[in-house]
Amino acid sequence: MPLEWLNPYHLQVASFMLINAILGVSIYVTLSTGQLSLGNAGFMGIGAYTAALLSTQHQVPIPVGILAGSFLAGVAGILVGIPSLRLSGVYLAIATLGFGEVLRAILINWESLTGGAVGIPAIPQMGRVILAWARDRGFSPESLGLQSNQFISLTVFLILLLGTLLTVAFFLRLSRSRVGRAYAAIRLDESAAAAAGIPITYYKVMAFSQGALLSGFAGALFAHSTSFVSPGDFTYHRAVEILVFAVFGGSEHIFGPVFGAAFLTVVPEALRAVSEYRYILYGILLVLMMVFRPQGVIDPALLRRFRRSGKGTPA
Amino acid sequence: MFLEQLINGITLGSIYAIVALGYTLVFGVLDIINMAHGEIFMFGAFVSMLIVSKAGAPLPVAFLGAIVVTAAMGLLLERFALRPLRGRPGASHLASLISTIGVSILLENVAHKIFGSGNHLFETPFAEISFTIGPVTVYLVQVVILLISLFLMAGLALWLSRTRAGKALRATAENLETAGLLGVDTNRMITATVVIASAMGGVAGVLVGMAFNYINNQIGLSMGLKGLAIIIFGGMGSVYGAMAGGLILGLSETFVVAYGSSGYRDAIAFVAIIVILLIKPQGLFGQTPAEARR
Repeated sequence: MPLEWLNPYHLQVASFMLINAILGVSIYVTLSTGQLSLGNAGFMGIGAYTAALLSTQHQVPIPVGILAGSFLAGVAGILVGIPSLRLSGVYLAIATLGFGEVLRAILINWESLTGGAVGIPAIPQMGRVILAWARDRGFSPESLGLQSNQFISLTVFLILLLGTLLTVAFFLRLSRSRVGRAYAAIRLDESAAAAAGIPITYYKVMAFSQGALLSGFAGALFAHSTSFVSPGDFTYHRAVEILVFAVFGGSEHIFGPVFGAAFLTVVPEALRAVSEYRYILYGILLVLMMVFRPQGVIDPALLRRFRRSGKGTPA
Repeated sequence: MFLEQLINGITLGSIYAIVALGYTLVFGVLDIINMAHGEIFMFGAFVSMLIVSKAGAPLPVAFLGAIVVTAAMGLLLERFALRPLRGRPGASHLASLISTIGVSILLENVAHKIFGSGNHLFETPFAEISFTIGPVTVYLVQVVILLISLFLMAGLALWLSRTRAGKALRATAENLETAGLLGVDTNRMITATVVIASAMGGVAGVLVGMAFNYINNQIGLSMGLKGLAIIIFGGMGSVYGAMAGGLILGLSETFVVAYGSSGYRDAIAFVAIIVILLIKPQGLFGQTPAEARR
C-alpha cells in the first residue's frame, strides 16, 4: 500500500487549517479598510446554517447550498455594515461582537428552524457524497490504493484546498487593483482618501460584506466537512480565534492571517501530548507574541527579505 | 411581584455596575479594553467560594481574600501583559487587546484545570434570612449586596473627584504625556488603576456568589461580555455611565425574564448597545463624540 501514510486525522487537521485560513482572510479583508469586525463568527454561522438547512431539509445540492450560504452571509454583511459605518475602533468591534451574540441567541431559541442548542446533525458530508457518487459509476477508491475513509478525508481536503487557493488568489489580485488601493488609502487616512475622491461608504461596506461573505463561505464548507453544526460552533470564542489568526499572523499582508490560521490550528494539535495545558500555553504564547512582535509574524518587511534572499542576491 | 422584581433587578444591576466599573477605569486611563477582566472577576468568585464554603470562614474574610488575590492578578497583568507593549512603535491598540485576550484564555483554562467545569455551591451564612415589608419579601443578602455596591461606587466617585491621587488618575486619563510632564508618576497611576479595577472585579465576584448561590467557570465570560456591553452603552470611560448602564441592564434583564421569555436574556445587553450605538454612538454618558468615535 503506497498511500498508508495518509492518515484521516492528519487530513482533518489540515482541513480545519484551510477553513481557518479562509476565516483569517475574511477578517483581514475587513481590517484592510481599518474596520475591526468581531462579527465573523456570526456570519460564519449564517453560512453554515443556511447550507445545512438547505441540504438536510430541502435536498438542495451541496455546491448550491454553499453558494447560497455565502451569498446570504454577504447580504447580512451589507445589512450590518451600513449602520456600522458610524462606528469605528473598539465600538465597531463590540457592536459586531453583539451582532454575533444576538445571532447565537436566535439560533438557540428558534428551535423549529435551527434545532435549538442541539444543532443540526446528519448534514451530507462532501467527501461521502462524492464517494457515493463515484461508487455508483463503478469507481472504487481501492483502485488508487486508498481506503474509503482516506478517500473521503482526502477529497474534503482537496476541495478545501481549492477553495482556499481561489480565495487567496482572488484577494491577492484584489489588493493590487483599484479596489485594493482604495482599501489601503482608507485604512491609512480616511479623510485624505475621501478628499482624494474615493467613495468611502461604498468601499467600507464592500469590504465589510466581502468579509462576511467569506466567513459564510467558510461556515458552509465547515458544515459540509464536519456534517454537524450547533450554536456552540459560532460563539465569542470563535470570533476571538478568528481575530487572533489575523493579529498573530500579521494583518498587513494576506499571507499573515493565512499563516496565523495554519500555525494556530496546528499548535493545539501538536500540543496534544500536554493536552491538559495546551490552552494555557496558547494564552501565554499570545501574550509573548504581542510583547515581542506586536505587528504579527508576517509583515511586509519580512516578505521583502524573503523575496530578496529568494533571488539569491544578498546585499 | 413588581416591587420584588424591581429589587431583584436593582441587586443584579448593581453587580453589573461594579463589573463594568472595572472595565471603564482601565479604558479611561489606558484606552485599552481589558479582556481579562471577566476572568479576574471569576477568580475573585472562586477564591471567596473556597474561603466561605470550603474553609467555613466568615464573609468579610472572603472579601479580603478575593481583593488580595485579584489585586495581585491585576498587578501581574499590568507588569507582564500591558507594560511591555506601552509606547512601543508598531504596537497598535489591537496588540494590547490580543495580549489581554491571551491572559483571559490562560486564566479561563487555569480555572478549568483547578475547579473543573461544574457548578460550585456558594454558601452565604445568612442566605435564608429575609424580612417582609407589606407585600414585599426582601432577602438580607440583597440588602448587603446593594449596600456594598453603593459604598464602592460612592467611594470610587469620591476618591476620583476629591483626592490628590484621584486627580492624578483623572489627569493621566485625560492625557498621559501631559500628566507625565506635570509630574504625575504615570506608570504608578496606571498600575494603581489596573490593580483597583481588578480588585473591584474581585469584590463583584463575591457579590455574584452571594446573589446566585453557585459559581462555575463560565461566569467570567458571560459577565465579561455584559460588562463590555455596559461600558459601550454608558459611554466608554465614563464612571457614571457604567453605573447607570449596569442598573438599566440589570432591571431590563430581570423584567424581560419575569414578564417575557428567558431565552433571549443574554442577548438583551447586545440589542441595547446596538440600538444605542445607532442613536448615540458615544454612549449614554459619552462626552466627546469626535474623540470617542476614533
